[in-house]
Amino acid sequence: MNFDIIVIGAGIIGCSTAYYLSKAGYKVGLVEKGDIASGTSSRCDAVALISDKKPGIDTDIGYKSIQMYKELAKELSFDFQFSSRGSLYVCETEQELEIAIGYAAQQRSDGYRMQIVDQKELLEIEPKLAKDLMGGIWTEVDSTMNPYLVCYAFIEEAKKYGLKLFTNHEVREIDRGVHGRIEKVITDKGIIRTERIVNCAGVWASQIGDMVGIDIPIRPRKGMILVTEKTDRIVNQKVHEFGYMLSKFEDINYKRNVSKLVENHNIAFTIEPTDADNYLVGGHRAFNGYDIRSENQVIRGIAERAMRFLPVLKDVSCIRTYAGIRPWVIDHLPIVSEVEEVPGFYIASGHEGDGISMAPITGKMITQLISGEKTDFDISRLRFSRYKEAIIS
Amino acid sequence: MTAEKTIVCRCEEVTLGTIQDTVQTYCCSSREVKLRTRAGMGYCGGRTCRHVIDRVVAEITKEPIKDEVQLSYRSPIRPATFAVLGGGKHDNES
Ligand SMILES: Cc1cc2nc3c(=O)[nH]c(=O)nc-3n(C[C@H](O)[C@H](O)[C@H](O)COP(=O)(O)OP(=O)(O)OC[C@H]3O[C@@H](n4cnc5c(N)ncnc54)[C@H](O)[C@@H]3O)c2cc1C
Ligand code: FES
Repeated sequence: MNFDIIVIGAGIIGCSTAYYLSKAGYKVGLVEKGDIASGTSSRCDAVALISDKKPGIDTDIGYKSIQMYKELAKELSFDFQFSSRGSLYVCETEQELEIAIGYAAQQRSDGYRMQIVDQKELLEIEPKLAKDLMGGIWTEVDSTMNPYLVCYAFIEEAKKYGLKLFTNHEVREIDRGVHGRIEKVITDKGIIRTERIVNCAGVWASQIGDMVGIDIPIRPRKGMILVTEKTDRIVNQKVHEFGYMLSKFEDINYKRNVSKLVENHNIAFTIEPTDADNYLVGGHRAFNGYDIRSENQVIRGIAERAMRFLPVLKDVSCIRTYAGIRPWVIDHLPIVSEVEEVPGFYIASGHEGDGISMAPITGKMITQLISGEKTDFDISRLRFSRYKEAIIS
Repeated sequence: MTAEKTIVCRCEEVTLGTIQDTVQTYCCSSREVKLRTRAGMGYCGGRTCRHVIDRVVAEITKEPIKDEVQLSYRSPIRPATFAVLGGGKHDNES
């Protein structure tokens, strides 16, 4: 078997990459150790937002990706439940609202529609929210989709362009030839020949890196979700606490007034409606290795925090819980890059909490990199070599 | 009863026909059937339907049912309200 390019990992990033490469005319094989979307892309939330991005290129790329999803929803034959429902950031205190106002103003001056709402407007938009919240940021373009259906949709379409899918094939070794060029991918089921590899293995990307002798600094960062029973409308869109964003932006030093449990487990409220009328309630962030078991203390903390924002939840049942692991990197930017020391080896991983959002643009830009075209955005900040430079300087 | 009318997953109202079609079209595992059809993702957490789903899949794909739990039960073992999970009432309910 011989392919132009082997993509490793059928998560949302690998599926998108396989789709854009196949569409560009390459002969592509997608190799996945389990089923399609058996990693993080079926254990996550389901939104593509601009409102959780830093002003500038992060927001620009996020916005572009949403536009691409809109197009894909029309182009692809498989329905992945895309809708632009909007999202609402809620502020608990005056201070949070003040930071929110500054943030939204900056985004607006870049041309993005983000609207500040006061207490009264907040309750008009989402009547079930607690009455004592100060206000929030409402972003209409923010969108939602079903991540594993996105994976199925990309694959269905890519197959029309000749994609060959190898599920239940675990990559064990990578063989290289003269000048260290990629030659073969060795799986538990056999050998596949190729000159190029795109490593889309998410939190497992570092294990694939080990096979070619490079250190990819991606680490798993866990997050738990509680799924509610099907119930009457609780919220119409993604609603989350602004503190979540503040805890993500390390340059802002803000401390929430929360219980020890919530504090210790790094819990921040988020809720999303699904097409099936269940709600996904989260969330938390923790470094806990590759463990994706549910933790009772975290469930407790998430439930406690959620009821503070949505008191109606107290009578709603949680029918199951799950956890996923985000592919985290220290500078919170994905790696979308070739690897100079291993000719033919590319990385598209490390999207942390943004992989769903960034999937289309990532697949497209990796394809541009491989074809030697100019990428849609200047992605020098996403280069793998940034870690080497960091060590030297 | 026909496959179109036989409900396998009562919580999500998924018929035997839908499950059979999905396995045949995608030649897939129980897990994938669940993601594609929502069978097993309902209120009872698959307690009622998962064995049937496993059997239907195994019959069509001719792969034995794996020992590792294909459609794993996920905690909480029984549905519980947020009040119970989160520990009591809160005072900002007005
Ligand atoms: C709780 C939670 C909520 C989230 N919410 C959002 C959100 O709302 N919006 C958003 O944009 N992002 C969100 N994310 C982040 C998002 O889920 C991830 O960034 C994204 O799923 C990563 O996709 P991936 O394709 O890189 O990785 P994965 O989906 O993990 O795919 C990697 C694949 O590689 C395969 N693989 C690994 N090793 C091998 C091998 N040796 N051989 C073959 N295959 C291999 C794995 O089996 C896996 O299928 C959330 C994450 C979590 C945990
Ligand atoms: S009968 Fe299928 S989930 Fe309850």
